[in-house]
Amino acid sequence: MVNRVELRNISKSFGGISALKNVTFKVMPGEIHALVGENGAGKSTLMKILSGAYTKDNGQIFIDDTEVNIKNTHDSKKLGIGIIYQEFSLVPELSVAENVFLNQLGRTGFWMKQGKLQKEAEILINSIGFSINPSSKAGDLSIAQQQIVEISKALSEHVRILILDEPSAVLGPQEIQKLFDTLDRLKKEGVAIIYISHHLSEIFQIADRVTVLKDGTSSESLHVSETDRDSIIRLMLGRSLEAMYPVRNSIIGEEVLRVVDIYQADKVRGVSFGLKAGEIVGIAGLVGSGRTETARAVFAADKREKGKIYLSGKELQIRSPREAVSKGIGMVPEDRKQHGVILSLSIKINISLTDFRGVSYHFGFIKAKKESNNAIELIRKLAIKTENENQEVGYLSGGNQQKVSLAKWLNRNCKVLIIDEPTRGVDVGAKVEIYNLINELSDKGVAIIVISSETAELMGTCDRILVMRKGQIQGELAKNEFSEEDILRMSIGAN
Amino acid sequence: MDTKIRLRRYLQFVIKYNTVFIFLVMLVVSAIVSDVFFTTNNLFNLVRQVTPVGIISMGMLLVILTGGIDLSVGSIVAMVGVLCALFTQSMPLPLVIITSLVCGLMVGSVSGYLVSIHKLAPFIATLAIMSIVRGLGFIISKGAPVLVNENASALTDFGSGNSLGIPNPALILFLVFVITAVLLKYNIFGRIIIAIGSNEEAVRLSGIKVSAYKFSVYAIAGGLSAVAGIITTARTAVGSPVMGVGMELDVIAAVVIGGARLSGGKGTAINTLLGVMILGMIGNIMNLINIPAYSQQVIKGLIIIFAVLLQRFQANSN
Ligand SMILES: Nc1ncnc2c1ncn2[C@@H]1O[C@H](COP(=O)(O)OP(=O)(O)OP(=O)(O)O)[C@@H](O)[C@H]1O
Ligand SMILES: [Mg+2]
Repeated sequence: MVNRVELRNISKSFGGISALKNVTFKVMPGEIHALVGENGAGKSTLMKILSGAYTKDNGQIFIDDTEVNIKNTHDSKKLGIGIIYQEFSLVPELSVAENVFLNQLGRTGFWMKQGKLQKEAEILINSIGFSINPSSKAGDLSIAQQQIVEISKALSEHVRILILDEPSAVLGPQEIQKLFDTLDRLKKEGVAIIYISHHLSEIFQIADRVTVLKDGTSSESLHVSETDRDSIIRLMLGRSLEAMYPVRNSIIGEEVLRVVDIYQADKVRGVSFGLKAGEIVGIAGLVGSGRTETARAVFAADKREKGKIYLSGKELQIRSPREAVSKGIGMVPEDRKQHGVILSLSIKINISLTDFRGVSYHFGFIKAKKESNNAIELIRKLAIKTENENQEVGYLSGGNQQKVSLAKWLNRNCKVLIIDEPTRGVDVGAKVEIYNLINELSDKGVAIIVISSETAELMGTCDRILVMRKGQIQGELAKNEFSEEDILRMSIGAN
Repeated sequence: MDTKIRLRRYLQFVIKYNTVFIFLVMLVVSAIVSDVFFTTNNLFNLVRQVTPVGIISMGMLLVILTGGIDLSVGSIVAMVGVLCALFTQSMPLPLVIITSLVCGLMVGSVSGYLVSIHKLAPFIATLAIMSIVRGLGFIISKGAPVLVNENASALTDFGSGNSLGIPNPALILFLVFVITAVLLKYNIFGRIIIAIGSNEEAVRLSGIKVSAYKFSVYAIAGGLSAVAGIITTARTAVGSPVMGVGMELDVIAAVVIGGARLSGGKGTAINTLLGVMILGMIGNIMNLINIPAYSQQVIKGLIIIFAVLLQRFQANSN
């Protein structure tokens, strides 16, 4: 059989930095080929070259053994290449249906047939196992729903090659399963699928072969059935990992935060819980169960309708994130691109945004040296891959952007830190570093709430897990009661 | 091949520093087409002409950096100009100046309040304020120009005088420019203004009081408009309710020629100042070579398009 895609000796550099060096990568029709590697290894860059979003500096691209010249995204679309980018590309002001068929608007004439469009979008979304109202605005959807719209959009045209750049990072376990069902179907239809993920377990679940990128160079492609997790990690990191979840000896103190019966729109309906100093509490639940909304209500990012919040026994009257921060509450938001970082500003500025008093003299004049050193220190601690602290965050790889979003809050001493999806898009090596940092914070007595769709992550890092469902806390598990099954059972409301 | 690469590098350089480039071209062209351009007299004239727009442009830059716009600046110039002239008839000079400034600040604060607290679209809020304040200017002056009282000759002397060999208004412009540039580059205030225009929600979630900063940029723009109003009155010795009609457009044009992005987050004080000079030179040189006013407007428009197109190239070549 001939390769559906062959990338031969691809090189690409940005300014002085070379992101890809002579990368070779082949995918067969009817194959799911996983592409893995550390943050900043060049995975997204390679895929953007194939999709025409970037142009290569050197090398050749073959589709079905004929060399092709992909100059822009239009060329790649004509070749049957569909891509789901790591960073979203939906138009927030347009409806779901319009977004799904964005590439084809105008094909049916100047006037849009809204009814027909919505019907078709609905059928398409249903066909991959989901239901989303096709007339709602894309900007109003949760991130998981947006991802599903992205997938539908890629499938709205006939694709022969499908690229998914970390599609599962924002999905919950159930949604991921449905995605896999769809991928399996496409694979049987002969589509060549390239699947990027930092969740290695997924690779063993669905991929046929795997290729590792490290520092812009490619490894041999391995058959998944002939390799194992540790070998892949060694290829990725150049070393092996001892334990994914560092051991924790929790020193739990007095109660710091108490949330009593809070309500927010119809997303949070009577949530109460307590949190002690030095404790790490996880919130599990399906996408849309109200986890993020609960966090935002505690941080006063949204106005809550009812309920009380106590900090160290005193009732808190906070109405804005600024007041929350001044009382010692911090939050790493779920959506890093919209809420977490400012893409057009430097790493340094992003970091000092949470604590600009700490880096300025009277009247707000900046202590340039101190600010830089601060940022350099955090870049080192989190192993952010960048030229220097003045690099614009938008030019970093996805996982490194996530680290900046976290670094911001490590820069400030909080009493309570809420982290919504701490390791979204982060590679395995860096995940361990982040868990270590979270432990370090809790050792210092910081009370931490971790929200995650990765049950294993919660079980590995938390002292206690709350499971949410439909805006309420469905149950609570102490460390010795943790079980993946129980968490899933509670989150879907089964008994 | 070699020359081609070199040519391309030159071109990229020009695109990157497009504002400086246009400024230099304007200087050269001006020197060629008119031999009076480089006389002290004409240069002083030019500087005096651009001073009001220049001072306000620094406030407008701050507003635009947050992603907003302020259409009321021209009206504030007129109202404060009228008030300032009126005040000279009954108040000592320092009080005249302070009260006039406070009036401008207050008007700006109203815009800032509407935009930051009530979340009105800046365009709409300041459009309304523009209309109200223009009307107030006419009501206060009863529709006629108000003369500056003879007792306040210190004011008019200042307006038409020089210090250190430079027209006084130009010195004020320079001061305002330096303060803005320093704030934007070395101060947290400027930082946050730029950050707000880049991603307001991320700034809010970092625990920063976005509304306070948004409020303050409109107040500052109002205050600087008042400064321009006082200077204009000082220079001409009258406060007229028809001053500054359409001035907001010149100010916005200058900021845009200077490369600021209207959606916020991008722009510098030095480029804005160059934008002001470019706009002023267009008018100045066309007057010198007797191009009629109507054609001047057409040419001005064309140059704005050219400047913004160059910036487009810059965005694309990145
Ligand atoms: N537009 C750009 N300008 C400058 N540098 C870039 C740009 N895009 C990517 N890079 C750099 O190229 C390198 C590879 O980035 P890429 O996004 O391909 O990584 P990745 O493997 O997808 O990582 P992640 O797992 O974090 O998504 C990084 O060092 C990144 O900083
Ligand atoms: Mg990537």
